[in-house]
Amino acid sequence: MRKILAIIIKDAIMRFSGFSELLFFIILPIIFTFLLAGGTPSGDEDARIRLLVVDEAQTALSAQIVSELAASSAVRPEVVSRADAEEQFSQRRASSIFIIPAGLDTASLQEGTAAVDFRQQPNNLNASIAQRAIQTALRRVSSAVSAANTAVSQREEAMPFASDAEKAAYFDQSLELARELQEDTPQRVTVIRAATPDQVEYDPRANSSAGQLITWVFIPLFGISELFAYERATGTLRRLLTTPTRKATYLLGTISGQVLMAIVQMLLLVGFGILVMKLAWGRDPLALAVMLVCSALAAAAIGSAMGAFVKTSGQANGLSIMLGMVMALMGGCWYPIELFPPAIQTFVKVLPTTWAMQGMLDLVLRGGGLVDILPEAGVLLGFAAVFFAVGVWRFRYE
Amino acid sequence: MQKLFLIGIKDLKLAFRDRAALMFMLLAPFLLTLGLGFVTGRFSGGSTSGLSDIPVVIVNLDKAQLGDALLDVFYSDDLSALLEPAEADSPEAARRLIDEDQAAAAVIIPAGFSESIIPSREMLDAGAFSAEPVQIEIYTNPARPTSAGVVKAVVDEFISRVEEGRIGSMTSILGIPGIETMSSLEVEGLAQEMFAEADGQDFSSAAITLRTDSQGADAVEFDPLAYMAPGMALMFLMFTVSYGGRSLLVEKIQGTLPRLLVSPTRPWQVLGGKVLGIFLTGYAQVGILIIASALFFQVRWGDPLGIAMLIAAAVFGACGWGLLLTALGRSTGQVGALGSAMMLIFGILGGTFISLEDMPAFVRAISAITPNAWGLDGFTTLALGGSLADLGKPILSLLVMGASLFVISAFIFGRSNVMKR
Repeated sequence: MRKILAIIIKDAIMRFSGFSELLFFIILPIIFTFLLAGGTPSGDEDARIRLLVVDEAQTALSAQIVSELAASSAVRPEVVSRADAEEQFSQRRASSIFIIPAGLDTASLQEGTAAVDFRQQPNNLNASIAQRAIQTALRRVSSAVSAANTAVSQREEAMPFASDAEKAAYFDQSLELARELQEDTPQRVTVIRAATPDQVEYDPRANSSAGQLITWVFIPLFGISELFAYERATGTLRRLLTTPTRKATYLLGTISGQVLMAIVQMLLLVGFGILVMKLAWGRDPLALAVMLVCSALAAAAIGSAMGAFVKTSGQANGLSIMLGMVMALMGGCWYPIELFPPAIQTFVKVLPTTWAMQGMLDLVLRGGGLVDILPEAGVLLGFAAVFFAVGVWRFRYE
Repeated sequence: MQKLFLIGIKDLKLAFRDRAALMFMLLAPFLLTLGLGFVTGRFSGGSTSGLSDIPVVIVNLDKAQLGDALLDVFYSDDLSALLEPAEADSPEAARRLIDEDQAAAAVIIPAGFSESIIPSREMLDAGAFSAEPVQIEIYTNPARPTSAGVVKAVVDEFISRVEEGRIGSMTSILGIPGIETMSSLEVEGLAQEMFAEADGQDFSSAAITLRTDSQGADAVEFDPLAYMAPGMALMFLMFTVSYGGRSLLVEKIQGTLPRLLVSPTRPWQVLGGKVLGIFLTGYAQVGILIIASALFFQVRWGDPLGIAMLIAAAVFGACGWGLLLTALGRSTGQVGALGSAMMLIFGILGGTFISLEDMPAFVRAISAITPNAWGLDGFTTLALGGSLADLGKPILSLLVMGASLFVISAFIFGRSNVMKR
């Protein structure tokens, strides 16, 4: 036990000998969590997509369109000048601009010449959503006129009008009726968010917090391979052969030290999530502890297995960072896994990051408890068992 | 000048012989680009995101005109790639599937939905233009907010059309002469006919025409990988420049730098050669990744001269940062660690991970100090069909950035003992 403790302390001293380690241990993870969460506003802020609106018409109709957009659940209209809108659009600071040209009024609507312009950056999801919101707003604004026009043509078909004046009067009467009907339109859709045990509100920042936690902890744990390679290269592992230290003691000391440091790092990031981002990490501390330990063990096991194969510490360093980043990306730690094609969603189940992320989201997002995360924890322990076995089997002193 | 080139070429060769460095310079950005290709749906034919085959459960208890019409919408060819609908027997079964994370949302169409909307004799007699609403329930999965949002948008769009049909038919019916004397059967038949007619109108027939324009879409169809691939290449370029800078300190420690300085070689030639080596390595790295994106992912880059100049400017700007880091660093370990940190920070600030548009305003302002942001701006311009003439601003900004950082670094080097014998 003393030897194991000595190895843990030696590794901790070596790792934190310079300030730069703190960068990767806590500073960068917090910056990344903060910035990536910054792209996904909290419940207090307006999460709707910003839509630049240029109102050159300045009529009651254009005001009605802007008002409909403001009531939309998808976009947040921001009325600006054309020059400002075009500058932001050309610099790609705005995904789309909506221009209501001069001359758009009720008369043009009745004549069927009313038109508005929408410009969007290509391949932009926000712009596509904004376009749908505009279409809905235009539909609402113009549907009364469309209905009146339809009523006029239906009436004309059934019984022709005696004069243009009669037709116009009929149109006005129909328009009034259509507007009255529109105002009385009831809500026809109700959205219910699936209930979680504690009625957790969905918070996309939870994705950022959990995803960055996994990313920044898995990479250094994969880095255990670098420790092995470094000690092999400097000959310290060979020296161990001359001492009464068993291979298991060395491996246990090295790995448990890194796992302990990873758990401390995760607790700091969880603390940041709770205190700064107000995330509900602490609902079931036992379940959280199980997930943190299982995730750390799985990552440490992969690092140990890698350490048995890599030749130099440079190689190990590059491989750990590369694998860590790729696994984090594919495991849904950077972008929600629901965005992946179904085949890829199935394939990425071979990655520990996928299971770690799933378990963390069960806790922080779905309000799950110990029972809910047992499958993920079991799979992670399975990863740990397999890779530790490979690591120990292929471990070599030189 | 020859010495300067010899030192530069030597460093280029050394970098490309280092397997660990190659992993970082080429393999990592390539694999991450591949992964991002999956996320954006680039490899699955998606146009704007990787969303496809969203599992949605429908319960149609209405079993009438509008309930069936909504079911048809979910099964329509237009949405076949986006949605994967399935039907459930009861609302409870559908909700259970959502609770078990088997689907993104459940759409429950209650009995009497059609009846509550299509005008009837009773509605007209009672003057109740809006009957007691029978609401469709969308039960959403909180873990799949984007997919659930898509399902809601589909239902909203349908309801919007239905409302238009309802208002149109009600307005028409109420104006028909002799409506008061018609039988219930006649009124309902007329209502069905007019409702179908009004509901059948597509958006293009709306009173306000929406003219759309996708910037540059007429010339070139924008490829999301045209943003992702250079984003990753530029991020890992920051590793390359710090790796190159670190080699200067390595030579100092190993004694090869003092040896060079005692030979008839001037310090500026040594420093120039090292900078040239970093520049050539960075240029080769980004060039290979851009060519690989064209060969393996069929990204069309357009103007080759524009690409060549943009890469040169981006590498020049990044070299400035690499040199500044080397000038300030006290050990190879420090330069390596700070270089990796700079790579990641510039990556996120420059828009590699998420679009700058989604970032807070202060981050967008800070991003101007990164070669990544300017480089990505240039690459996006090219991917949208731009040419060298359109790259003035990003190229000039990168050159100014590089030059300024070179001057500052040279000043710091002049005061340090790195380049002294």
